[in-house]
Amino acid sequence: MNEEQQLKLQAFLDGELPEREAREILAWTQRDGAAAALLAELKNTRQALVKSEPHLSVPESRDFFWSKIEREIQRLEPETARTPDASLFAGLRRWFFPAVALGALVIAGLIAYLNTPKTVVDGVADADTTTVETTLASADATTYRDAGEGTTLVWFSDDTTAIN
Amino acid sequence: MSDKNYSSTDDESLVKAARKGELAAFEELVFRHRDPIYARAFSMTRNEQDAVDLSQEAWIKGWQRLGQFQGESSFTTWMTRIVINLCLDHLRRQKRHRTDSIEAMDDEGGGVERQMPVVTVNPTAGLERAELRQKIDGALGQLSAEHRTVLVLHEFEEMEYKEIAKTVGCSIGTVMSRLFYARRKMAALLAGVRNEND
Repeated sequence: MNEEQQLKLQAFLDGELPEREAREILAWTQRDGAAAALLAELKNTRQALVKSEPHLSVPESRDFFWSKIEREIQRLEPETARTPDASLFAGLRRWFFPAVALGALVIAGLIAYLNTPKTVVDGVADADTTTVETTLASADATTYRDAGEGTTLVWFSDDTTAIN
Repeated sequence: MSDKNYSSTDDESLVKAARKGELAAFEELVFRHRDPIYARAFSMTRNEQDAVDLSQEAWIKGWQRLGQFQGESSFTTWMTRIVINLCLDHLRRQKRHRTDSIEAMDDEGGGVERQMPVVTVNPTAGLERAELRQKIDGALGQLSAEHRTVLVLHEFEEMEYKEIAKTVGCSIGTVMSRLFYARRKMAALLAGVRNEND
């Protein structure tokens, strides 16, 4: 039996041969005593090993074994770099704070826009624009402007006279 | 690190917690699976201190690579692959140190095993499980690192030829050849042990 035949016999045992070749090897072992004997030896050895892997335990206590692992992990990677709090803070710093700043800017801009007084310059305002202002309150004066008509009226009332 | 008790938490949840930086969750994983990882390192190196060091190194690498664990295999299988790769690197370094070559070892050991007479009686039949384990352990210790590695990956890790070739970094033909010689030598060693006892 040459080496190639021996290795094919082993491949047959390990289920590594295509079906056609496997059938050929099976037929060969049925008519050749030496091939059958070698196949039996290989099979016995394989079965003995598969069933009997030695069970071994770490020859150190749990704490002692772990301490080296823990020390090395902490040396390679500072604990703070992987803690959930640290990563959450990093996330806030990256996205939340810029978003808040942007939002504040938008709100401030909106407020400024809404609070800007409308001005009427040389009758350019809408024709229907009519404003009533109370000015010089202490003097009891009221101003009436009509952009459409292009007129401005100012009333002065005399409460003293009315009472009298 | 939190003081949370993880003893009743399943592996998947422990991995998730460890990924978030919970060292206590990772410690629980180490505690649960340290023996099989150590046993694999020992079966490949046959040296107790090397096996302890390599299995600890594997756990450290496991922590660093937790993000790569996809859950396609069990956590133990994933960790076992890490320790196997570390053991292979260790054995390569040792071999370079000894300045011998795989080919030289194959030629030296292979030819002899191929010519050995076939062991016709099952040398392990009738042995108690503990006794069988002890004998197999002793026989494994007498194999070369190259032959033992292929035997361990095939019989204990249930890897196919192609996977072993990829893991070890050799051809499928070399895997087949090493496995054959390793099995034949194991048969002879087990038979020899049995005969001595008889």
